[in-house]
Amino acid sequence: MSGHSNWPEWVYIGVVVALMVWVGAEAWEAERLVDHIPADAETIKVTGQQWFWSFEHEDGTKEIGELHVEVGKAYKFEIMSKDVNHSFNIHDYVVLMDAIPGRVNTVWFAPTEPGTHDIQCREYCGLIHYNMRGTLIVEEPSS
Amino acid sequence: MKKLVGLFLVLAVTVLIPAVDLAFAAGDEPGEYLDRRVIIWNLFYRLMTVGFTVGAVVSGTIIWQCWRFRESHPKAKPTPYEGTDW
Repeated sequence: MSGHSNWPEWVYIGVVVALMVWVGAEAWEAERLVDHIPADAETIKVTGQQWFWSFEHEDGTKEIGELHVEVGKAYKFEIMSKDVNHSFNIHDYVVLMDAIPGRVNTVWFAPTEPGTHDIQCREYCGLIHYNMRGTLIVEEPSS
Repeated sequence: MKKLVGLFLVLAVTVLIPAVDLAFAAGDEPGEYLDRRVIIWNLFYRLMTVGFTVGAVVSGTIIWQCWRFRESHPKAKPTPYEGTDW
């Protein structure tokens, strides 16, 4: 057709593609930052089973339903499950990782201030899933 | 040819992108201390800004097109496909 111009369409496509690339790059960078665990992070083994969480610190200390950590340290969670799929979630610290039988998934965080936070299961895992909760207790550094 | 392009697009989305993503995200170098809440929520708000902006532009364009190219618009003209006197 004579007199027809499609440059607005190309501008439109260009803007949308540029936005998508920017969004992708931002997400990529955030993932890179969040996935890489600091070298001195303390490992805590997290086990999910119907219907409670248990924790084992590096020094062998075990906890059930409660997890004590200290401000200023980094913690790497090694998350596993003994029975069905669960999902380990500390909502206040945006920690969320599936607990899958036969697999070890990792996620890390560094608490910034003392306080108490909820731990919950975020994957429907059976009758008492709603009450598969725990407490994260962030304390002042001991030393 | 078009089918091939389509196929490669689907493959890129389902296979290549997750694979490349995993390869790059799973580096061995140690990370720095950071507040993941800040990183993740900031990303969320930026993505929401982009998402709503694009959504507003797209839906605005569609609404404008429906308004401008309706039959009863004062400047409406028949297209060659209609081929009738107006």
